[in-house]
Amino acid sequence: MNTLTEAPAQAAQARLSSGASNLELLRRYEPVIRFTKGEQFYPTDVDRYVEESSLWAHYPDGRDELLVKQDDLTLESLVEQRTAAFGTVHYMRFIENLSLAESAQVLAEQVRLRGILKNNFHPGVGRLARGGLLPRIVDALFSVSFLLRGRVPAASAAAAELDYFHMRAKKEKYIYYGRVARQNGWVILQYWFFYCYNSWRSGFNGVNDHESDWEMISIYLYEDKGQLAPEWVAYASHDFHGDDLRRLWNDEDQLDQVDGHPVVYAGAGSHASYFRRGEYQAEANLDLPSWIRTARKTWNSFWTGALGQEPVDPFRIPFVDFARGDGLSIGPGQPKEWTPVVIDESTPWVSQYRGLWGLFARDPISGENAPAGPMYNRDGSPRGAWYDPLGFAGLDKVPPPTQALQLLEKNCKEIAERQIQLQSLIPDQADELHTLGIKLKGMEGNPHLAKQYGLVEKKMAALAEDVKGLRREHTENSIVLQGLTARLDRMRKGLPEDPRAHIRHLAMPVKTRRMRFERAAQAWAAVSLSLMLFGFVGLLFLAPQHLWAGLVVITLLFIVTESILRGAFIQTVGQLTVWLAIVSAVILILHFWFWLLIGALLAMAIFLLLQRWRELTG
Amino acid sequence: MQHRKKNWTRKRPIAVTIVAWGIVVLFLIRVYQVIEPLISQGVFENGIAGPLYQGISLTPLGSALLTSAIYLVLSLAGLAVLIGFLRLKRWSWVMLMAWTGISLTITLINYFYGQPNYVVLTSDTIIAFALSQADVQRIFKIRMDEGEHLN
Repeated sequence: MNTLTEAPAQAAQARLSSGASNLELLRRYEPVIRFTKGEQFYPTDVDRYVEESSLWAHYPDGRDELLVKQDDLTLESLVEQRTAAFGTVHYMRFIENLSLAESAQVLAEQVRLRGILKNNFHPGVGRLARGGLLPRIVDALFSVSFLLRGRVPAASAAAAELDYFHMRAKKEKYIYYGRVARQNGWVILQYWFFYCYNSWRSGFNGVNDHESDWEMISIYLYEDKGQLAPEWVAYASHDFHGDDLRRLWNDEDQLDQVDGHPVVYAGAGSHASYFRRGEYQAEANLDLPSWIRTARKTWNSFWTGALGQEPVDPFRIPFVDFARGDGLSIGPGQPKEWTPVVIDESTPWVSQYRGLWGLFARDPISGENAPAGPMYNRDGSPRGAWYDPLGFAGLDKVPPPTQALQLLEKNCKEIAERQIQLQSLIPDQADELHTLGIKLKGMEGNPHLAKQYGLVEKKMAALAEDVKGLRREHTENSIVLQGLTARLDRMRKGLPEDPRAHIRHLAMPVKTRRMRFERAAQAWAAVSLSLMLFGFVGLLFLAPQHLWAGLVVITLLFIVTESILRGAFIQTVGQLTVWLAIVSAVILILHFWFWLLIGALLAMAIFLLLQRWRELTG
Repeated sequence: MQHRKKNWTRKRPIAVTIVAWGIVVLFLIRVYQVIEPLISQGVFENGIAGPLYQGISLTPLGSALLTSAIYLVLSLAGLAVLIGFLRLKRWSWVMLMAWTGISLTITLINYFYGQPNYVVLTSDTIIAFALSQADVQRIFKIRMDEGEHLN
C-alpha cells in the first residue's frame, strides 16, 4: 500500500550508518517513479539497448559511416578508442532506416499492440485549446520547421515501441544506474534512468522525439553522529536550474514519500521528473534571431510600461508535460521493483563513450538529437550534473546542517569581534581627524605654509574617507549581525525555516481548467487554423477586390470567436482595440505630424510662459 | 478627539470623465440624427402623411422614419452605456470597448480604401487608450489586483 507518510518522523527513521556500502545507500533511498497511463518506455538497461543498436560516425563533410553493425555492438566494442577529425559525431542507431512498406507495417503493429495492452493515453483538454490563436499559428510554424530541421522519422517511435516491448517481454527488468559522490561534507546519491526512446512529440503532442533518454534525480545526505541523513532531493526538469531543482526532504507539500522513498512523477514521453503529480505547461525554447528577440523585448516594455497592458507572449507554444502518475509505478513496494546497477568514473561505458546514445538527427537546435551519456553533454564536454552535483542543485553554497550551526557561530563571532575592534578604531581615527582639522585651521592665512597646507588637506580628506568607511562597515555589520543572530537563535531552538525560501521559480502543475463550451473549444482549436486558411482562399476566389479588408475581418472574427470559447472575451477585445488604436495613432501622427509639432511647441511655450509669469508675480 | 472622516467612495479617474463627455457628445449627435430626418420630411408639422413604402422600396418618408428609428436605438444604447459608465458598471466598459473596436476596424478599412474619417479615428483612438488605462480598468473591475476577487 502506498502511503504518504509523515516526513519528519521518516527523516529520523531514514538514517543509515555512514559505514554503509554505496549499494546499501542507493537501495535505502531509491525512488518510486510513477508514470502516466499511456507511457511506452520505462527505465531499462543499456546492455540490451546497445546490442540492439549500431554505431555510426557523422563526419564534418556530411558523410555518415557505419562503424559497428547491429548484433556486433557490445558495451566493450562501444568504448574502443576511435580516432576521428574534429567535428565528428559518434552516435548509435536503435532503429535503422525504414522503407515506406516497413513504416506502414510498424505503424499498424503499434496500433494492434496498443489495442492489446489497453495502455492508451487520453490528453483531456488538448494542448492546442490551452493557448490562443496566435500561439497556434507559431505552433504551426514550429511544426512546419521540422521540414527544414532534422527530425526523427515518424515510424521510428512506433518501431522503438515494438522493439522495447519485445525486449521487455523477453526479460522484464527495471534498472537504475546509481552513483555515490562525496563533496564538501555532502554524500550525493545520483539515480540515472535510461530509456530507449523519448516519445514526447509522437506520443503526447510534445516538443521533441529522440532515440534514448537519460534522466536523473539526486538525494543529498549529511553525516550526523556516524549516521547519514537525507536533507535535500533534486529532480532534473525542463526549464529549471540550480536552486529551483531541489526540495527539502521534509517538505511534505512538495515531496511525496513512500516509506522513506521519494516519489517521482515522470512526464509522459519526456520522462522529465516532477515532485507533484499533474500537468505541466512547458514552453518550446524557440531559437529566435537576435533582432526578433530585441524587437520583442522593446515591444513588451512599450506594451506593459507605456500602455500599461498586461504582458502577452505570442511565441509561447503551450506544450504540456503530463505527469499524472496514474500509470505504472516502479520502486520499493510497487508493482514493479528496481534492479540497481552501481556506476562511477571507472565504469567504461560511462567515462569512455562520449558519443550520442541514439540517432544524430542533424537538428541544429538539438531537440531531436539523442542525448549523450550520464557523464557528457551532446558536444562531448563533461556534464555539470556529473562533475558538480552540488552546483547542479545550487547546493555548492549550502553547508550540511551539522556544519551550518558551527559556521554560523563562527561567522557571528568574527563579526562581533570586528565590531569591538571598530568601536575603538572609529573614535581614534575621528580624534586624529579633529587634530588635523585644527592644524589646518591654524595654517590658514599663512601664505608661506601653502605647500604644507595642501599636504595636510590631502591627508585629512583620505582620513575622513577612512572614518566614513569604518562607520558604514560598523552600521552594516550591526544589521548583518542582527539577522545572523536571529537565525542562530532559531537554529539553536530547532525552529523550522521556510523550506522553499531558496526557490525562485516553483514548478507547479497547471490547474485543469474547465473551459466554457469545452468540447466546442477543443474542436475549434483543432480546426480553426485550417478554417481560417479556407476562408482566405474563398476570399481570393470570390471577392479579390476586398482581399485586405476581408483578411482583417476574417482574422478578427476568428480571434473573437476563439476568445468567447476560451472565456477571454473581455481581455481579447481590450487588447485588440488597443492594437487598432496604436495603428490609428501611427496613421494620425504620419498625417498630422506638422500640426502635432506645432501644437507641442505651442503647449511648451505656454507652459514656460506660465512658469515664468508665476515666478515674476511671486 | 475628532477623527477626520475618510472618503471611501471610489474616485473617478480623469479618463472616465473624458470618455463620459465623449459619450454625451455622441448622444447629442445621435439625438440630432433622430430628429433631422423627421424635420426634413415635415413629420412634426404634418404627422405621418403618406405611404412608407412603394412596392419593395421605401418612400423618402419611410426611409426617414427608418433612419430616425435606427439612430433612436443607437442613442438609447448610448444613453444606457453612459448611465452604466457613470455608475462604473463593468458591462458598460465591455460594451464601449467592443463598440470602439468595431468602429476602429471600420474606420481603418475605410481609411485604407481612400475614405478617411480623421475625426472618428481620433476620437476612437482617444477612447481606446483612455479605457485601457490601468486605473480605469481597475475601477471597472476589468483588471484585478492580486488578492482581489470579483464580487
